[in-house]
Amino acid sequence: MASRVSLKTKGKGGKGSKGSDEKSAARCLKEWSTWAMKKAKVVTHYGFIPLVIIIGMNSEPKPQLYQLLSPV
Amino acid sequence: MAGLVHPATTTIPAEASKTAHTKAEEKTDYMNLPCPIPFEELQREALMSLKPETFEGLRFDFTKGLNQKFSLSHSASMGPTEIPSQSAETIKIPTAHYEFGANFIDPNLMLIGRVLTDGRLNARVKWDLTDNLTVKANAQLTNEPHMSHGMFNFDYKGKDYRSQFQMGNGALFGASYIQSVTPHLFLGGEVFWAGQHRKSGLGYAARYETDKMVAAGQVASTGMVALSYVQKVSEKVSLASDFMYNYITKDVTSSAGYDYILRQCRLRGKIDSNGCTTAYLEERLNMGLNFILSAEIDHRKKDYKFGFGLTVG
Repeated sequence: MASRVSLKTKGKGGKGSKGSDEKSAARCLKEWSTWAMKKAKVVTHYGFIPLVIIIGMNSEPKPQLYQLLSPV
Repeated sequence: MAGLVHPATTTIPAEASKTAHTKAEEKTDYMNLPCPIPFEELQREALMSLKPETFEGLRFDFTKGLNQKFSLSHSASMGPTEIPSQSAETIKIPTAHYEFGANFIDPNLMLIGRVLTDGRLNARVKWDLTDNLTVKANAQLTNEPHMSHGMFNFDYKGKDYRSQFQMGNGALFGASYIQSVTPHLFLGGEVFWAGQHRKSGLGYAARYETDKMVAAGQVASTGMVALSYVQKVSEKVSLASDFMYNYITKDVTSSAGYDYILRQCRLRGKIDSNGCTTAYLEERLNMGLNFILSAEIDHRKKDYKFGFGLTVG
């Protein structure tokens, strides 16, 4: 994913900007996309199961809260 | 193409299908071919019959439905787990797992999440944006760095073809396409590019199916050749055989097996050219209560795996 993003920026920024600006823009974007991927991984890791439970508890017919915990 | 299609069949399709069944020879309508099955499920009959999910030790699964669409699952398993070792001997250490899962299954949206006690998350999402376009995502996330995997698939289903585009972490890209050529024959191909390992590959696949049998073959530039044949002998019995050959490493594996689907149970067994025999029995004891027995005997490596379990719900 990161290498694909950096190829895109090199193509777009090649026209007007100087060589050094181009390289730092590509590197910035790569760092930011890596940072975003890392945060997205943490969010998914902790939040996916709660998300499924929230979506499920709000679907029709609405189940009761005790049904989440009781084995019956 | 126009010369092959009889003009009457395109204007009155319902009557044409009835008369086509009664006549001995059928005129194939090349404009109305069936939609093929997805590319990754090309060999699914052989896979279902020959590769049951064998396990070792005790397994207990409890699925509790809260409503039609939402259910929670609790799964406990105890048994020896194989760890990869350098020597030829298999090393097993006893482990116990508890896995909690939440499933939300809607006609348009499917969310399945499973989390283990060591923090590993297995998530699957399938979202039908429109009738023809589907987005799928699959992720295995762990707490260890650099061991997590994620993959996105975009599927487009056309009238008689299916295409798929895949993106995964580690700059993994893939695309596949499968087309119906006749009502019984489906041909397809795939390409993939793995950025991290700097590898690319190309593959072709073909599948021929009738009511009684399915024959499928796949060839890939990574060296894999996989052929399979499944014959449905009767309503309850299918026999399957499989041949896998790697033309780069010259590895050959062949297996043959059976699949009995009876009223109260499903019994699958297979024997391999590596000297491995497998059997898997799922018996329905009562409504919602299933008893599972699994056995895998590897005579060459002297590795014996026996498992038993119970599935509730």
